[in-house]
Amino acid sequence: MLEHTVRLRVDPTRPSSPSVQIVEGILDAIARGALGAGEQLPTVRGLAEQVVVNPNTVAKAYRDLEALGVVEGRHGSGVFVTAAGVEIARRERRGAVKVELQRAVEAAQATGFTREEITTEVERCLAATGRARSTPRQGGRS
Amino acid sequence: MSTGRPAIEVADVRFRYAKAPLLEGLSLSVPTGETTALLGRNGVGKSTLLKLLMGLLKPRHGTLRVLGLDPLRNARELQALVGYVPDRPDAWPWMRVPELFRFFAVHHPRWNPDRARAWTERLGVPLDRTFRQLSRGEGMKAMLAAALAPDPEVLLLDEPFGGLDPVAREEMLRALVGALGERRRTVLVSTHELDLAARLGDRVAILETGAIRTEGPLNEVIGAGESGAAEALRVRLATADGEGW
Repeated sequence: MLEHTVRLRVDPTRPSSPSVQIVEGILDAIARGALGAGEQLPTVRGLAEQVVVNPNTVAKAYRDLEALGVVEGRHGSGVFVTAAGVEIARRERRGAVKVELQRAVEAAQATGFTREEITTEVERCLAATGRARSTPRQGGRS
Repeated sequence: MSTGRPAIEVADVRFRYAKAPLLEGLSLSVPTGETTALLGRNGVGKSTLLKLLMGLLKPRHGTLRVLGLDPLRNARELQALVGYVPDRPDAWPWMRVPELFRFFAVHHPRWNPDRARAWTERLGVPLDRTFRQLSRGEGMKAMLAAALAPDPEVLLLDEPFGGLDPVAREEMLRALVGALGERRRTVLVSTHELDLAARLGDRVAILETGAIRTEGPLNEVIGAGESGAAEALRVRLATADGEGW
């Protein structure tokens, strides 16, 4: 279950709403393989208590994930990742991250960073996160 | 997601204390099953609005309905369906929590002693000390346990987190999230903390100079566009904290 494989957190100071943060957190967990096709998501109530938000907020996040085709509710038994869910989650999150990287590069160029400096900075970021993340995540392809 | 009539409806309410008008045409509705966080400075009328909804005060003008009931005409019926947490522990200082609960058991038609016991245990409310001896956090936790004991459809919470230490605040917050997971409840909670508004509120309503000035999902209310409104409100709330948002 998600509680054990993913440390999902909600930060109310971020500009995106708590429900969007939950959607992104679950998409990330699916995209990197921590949550696979056919696996069950926590109950609305369970996840609400874990991340300390109103259960309505989790229910909204699950409805949005269902609308994306990433999860499906099976009556009575819970919410599960769909067969297509992994591919959709990867596409959604990789697309979003590419946009963020593009913005960061444009910001760097606007500030006067050279191509070499940007490359160096990206390498430095990779090295920093490599040190912070000592244990590789399960199923983290590419 | 909500259907039918809002559980809480306030239309064009005016109220004044002896010296000055406080609420001047306040309107607000909270859809059934949703939580609205009421934000506003100290003294702006948040407690007054909650007291009007509980039938503890009488408006000069306008209508209030909770679950379709008029708080003044149907006070007893309404108070049985609504859990109310006042902004300070509301008990005689010589009372212990079990004594307060015995009082409620006699007067509250839907009092459930098992739930009262379960919530005091979950919240860690001391049972062997008088209210005079309880800290503010312990007293407020006792009030929340009392409000939840009858399993109310509606919760009216008046600054339940104000003046609490971080541990008590977290316990209260987690208890409320747990209570919202138990069943569908409609909640109006006044606070000045954006963190709590974001965690608990489906929507926020900002009360300013006598009326609700802005109302909607928190990130839309404070994050609309790139006008810096979010930052402005954050600064306003943060700097005004001492003087009482």
